[in-house]
Amino acid sequence: MTSPMYDTLVDLLVTRFEVDRAEISPEVTFEDLDMDSLFLVELLVVIQTETGVEISEDTASPRDTIGHAAEAIAAQVLEATAAKSS
Amino acid sequence: MAAPPAPARAAVLCGTGSFLPARRVSNDMLSATLDTSDEWIRTRTGIGARHFTDPGTTTSDLAAAAGARAIADADPSGVDGVDTVVVATTTPDRPCPGTAPVVAAKLGLSGAAAFDVSAVCTGFVYGLATAAGLIAAGAARRVLLVGAETYSSILDPDDRTTSVIFGDAAGAVVLRAGEPGEPGAVGPFDLGSDGDGVDLITVRGGGAEQRLSGRPAEPGDRWFTMAGKQVFWQAVRHMAKSSRAVLDQAGWRVDEVDHLVGHQANLRILNRLADDIGVPRERSITNIAEVGNTSAASIPLALDQARAAGRLHTGDRLLLTAFGGGLTWGSTVLTWPHLAGDANRSTNPMTPTRSEESTR
Repeated sequence: MTSPMYDTLVDLLVTRFEVDRAEISPEVTFEDLDMDSLFLVELLVVIQTETGVEISEDTASPRDTIGHAAEAIAAQVLEATAAKSS
Repeated sequence: MAAPPAPARAAVLCGTGSFLPARRVSNDMLSATLDTSDEWIRTRTGIGARHFTDPGTTTSDLAAAAGARAIADADPSGVDGVDTVVVATTTPDRPCPGTAPVVAAKLGLSGAAAFDVSAVCTGFVYGLATAAGLIAAGAARRVLLVGAETYSSILDPDDRTTSVIFGDAAGAVVLRAGEPGEPGAVGPFDLGSDGDGVDLITVRGGGAEQRLSGRPAEPGDRWFTMAGKQVFWQAVRHMAKSSRAVLDQAGWRVDEVDHLVGHQANLRILNRLADDIGVPRERSITNIAEVGNTSAASIPLALDQARAAGRLHTGDRLLLTAFGGGLTWGSTVLTWPHLAGDANRSTNPMTPTRSEESTR
């Protein structure tokens, strides 16, 4: 099962980081995709720009799966949106 | 946000110059002694080579060489004298005194006011603000500002995270007193710092903190260290925020920026920065592939090289932004002026001073 944030993440990996779409699945880790911590920071900066939400730099690590990272990011976006509307 | 009142006298850029030491070190040469590779370095930093000084040559030598070129460029007749020399550097010749008086003496400018600015990679932008302030206050009429670095003196040869990134170089500009709003006038400025980030980019040894710690220096204390991941994050964040703030102050829309001249920290940071503030990447001036990160020298070196390459035209709008140790950050804008030195360059475009040294 995938989420909108997972789909966004996959699109970013494919369009900005030249990852082969066929290699990505929710169970794959960033390490599996040869993405080290620096790439991950860059990815989080991109997501921050795209969503306009401040995302903490330790939201995901190279050992996390794409699915787990998508959940963690989505949770932060949701929290920030809730804080803004309250 | 309302723009601050413009000063009565502005600092106007009227000359540029740069100097790269001759010894060029490629990624493959570094890979011979470090566990790294050309591909690893290029994909992570965009860097292909850097220049290092040879023993016996120091920061003040590079600064004087770049400064002499900028002075000659600003005033080929040599009549209009520089009265102030400011050197922005992380790698002064000595902890005490400053490097700027030495540079002034090497340039035959003894008697000029001379001091250093210490803001690491943001040093050049802080130096521009300092020069603008001196000129606005009437304390200086013509300022030579040099960003000069010999990071080879503080890089741990066994640290592959820093050794592959930094290079030695100097870049200089001459600023004269002029009218606010005329082409070449620098400002407004957005400057900032966050000392809680002191440990992210640092040389721990050699200062009062280590000397007064009551314990001997650790062997590694003499080397420059950087927390790459956090620095990447903070660099994009602060340069983007500061860029937006200065554009707002200047009353420029982002699509009016002809050239984004960011501190050449890492190509991926520069690309992220351009995307983040909405400047097309092709408008970002980058020279990092050939020279690496030259810290305080990076912006004036990039400017001088872009000018030599014919990329900067009179009337072009430039956004300069930098981030560095401190943490520090800063941004400013200027409209590229007509430079007296261009006449000499166009009649003799193949002067060997730039191309040979930069490609050797």
